[in-house]
Amino acid sequence: MSNFDLSEILGNPEYVAMLLLGIKMTFVVAIGSWTLAMTLALLLLGLRYAPGPVGNAFVTAYVSYHRNVPTLVQLLLWYFGIFTLMPDPVTFWLNDHNAEAIFAVIGLGLCQAAYFSEDLRSGMRAVSPGQMEAARALGHSYVSAMRFVMVPQGSRNALPALINHSVSLFKNSSLAVAIGVAELTYAVKEIENLSFRTFESYLLVTVLYLVFSLMIMALGAYVARRADPVRSGRA
Amino acid sequence: MNTIAPSKNSPMIALTGVHKSYGNYEVLKGIDAEVARGEVVVICGPSGSGKSTLIRTVNRLEEIGSGSISCDGNNIHQPMPAKELNRLRSRIGFVFQSFNLFPHLSAIDNIAMSPMRVKGLQRDVAYAKATKLLERVGLADKANAFPAQLSGGQQQRVAIARALAMEPPVMLFDEPTSALDPEMVGEVLSVMKGLAADGMTMMCVTHEMGFARDVADRVWFIDQGQIVESARPEDFFSRPQTQRAQRFLSELRH
Repeated sequence: MSNFDLSEILGNPEYVAMLLLGIKMTFVVAIGSWTLAMTLALLLLGLRYAPGPVGNAFVTAYVSYHRNVPTLVQLLLWYFGIFTLMPDPVTFWLNDHNAEAIFAVIGLGLCQAAYFSEDLRSGMRAVSPGQMEAARALGHSYVSAMRFVMVPQGSRNALPALINHSVSLFKNSSLAVAIGVAELTYAVKEIENLSFRTFESYLLVTVLYLVFSLMIMALGAYVARRADPVRSGRA
Repeated sequence: MNTIAPSKNSPMIALTGVHKSYGNYEVLKGIDAEVARGEVVVICGPSGSGKSTLIRTVNRLEEIGSGSISCDGNNIHQPMPAKELNRLRSRIGFVFQSFNLFPHLSAIDNIAMSPMRVKGLQRDVAYAKATKLLERVGLADKANAFPAQLSGGQQQRVAIARALAMEPPVMLFDEPTSALDPEMVGEVLSVMKGLAADGMTMMCVTHEMGFARDVADRVWFIDQGQIVESARPEDFFSRPQTQRAQRFLSELRH
């Protein structure tokens, strides 16, 4: 069994089933944490724009922590730190509901929210101040100017950065292996242990991550093209 | 309410003792002036004289330090709820030097959006009106073009149509042709001439002295935050009363 032979893995129904389960869990973690991150990012952005210094200071601290501590450490803090401080009924409930996956979603989602909110903020800042003036001069309220003039442009500006960070988030889902989430990387480590096909295992998972990441980027490019009024052919 | 029933004889815009400072720097040093209904006033003066600041105080894009400004009988700078200020602003058309069209909207959407979102006009009514306005500025064939696909002159004409869509009784122009290539200045000025001929009250900061000569009822020459001369254009251009205006005009001719 020394020669390169991918069929040792792909020809084994048991390994294929493990792979598929891993892929499924990777997408559950990635989509769950993406949704959480985007929701939080919008809330953080709202806090940024709220009057008074408190909201802004909170978001600055939030972003600072989540961008300057390694994502892996954040995950470990959640699962091995905060989880153990929770009251027993909560711990029992979480253990019954795949606590590892839940904390992976929370940890990755909270971390990525910091990046997403900064992407959105820089997108908003890239909108020319003249746009707000023009809207106000036409009689729009602040909220109406934000809704119909600033946010449509700001979110479009933010798209490339959001797509990049979405791919990062997808790849970072592999960090969940450290807290025992049975996602793709975890499944491949298991297969490697059982089959002793080390190179084949990691080649396979490399190709899978590459393909999925490229698919997400293609999806992002499609969304970006649709969002561009001129290039989408609506003109 | 502050609203004085506007009579035919009351001025459209009245500025009384308007002062404004940025920190220690006084931009406007007591402006007293009126624009009558249907009058076209051209504001000129050297750069940094305060003319852009002045026109931007009329719809309160800039706050003032002291004094008062009324427009169509409304005291613009008194304390008021945000809603009331929005309503007053919607009644004052404003055209920017840099157009400021909404780049994510087509020409016709730029024009129809605010009547729908601010005034609550029905969609079909707003679009019918926007189509008429595009015809009026000579761009009926560009309804679905986006700002990035239009020349500067075309963008500025759409911007004028966008302001007109709110049906304001007064239009303010802040150097509307200064960002344009020379060959596009004419098309914008001719739209403005048409507006003036229709009896629109206009206040216009511009360096286009030909426009001032042909269209303006009155020229205000501003220097160092004060209206130094206010005269009919034929008088202003042939017999400027102050040395500063004489120097300004002679430099324009170079």
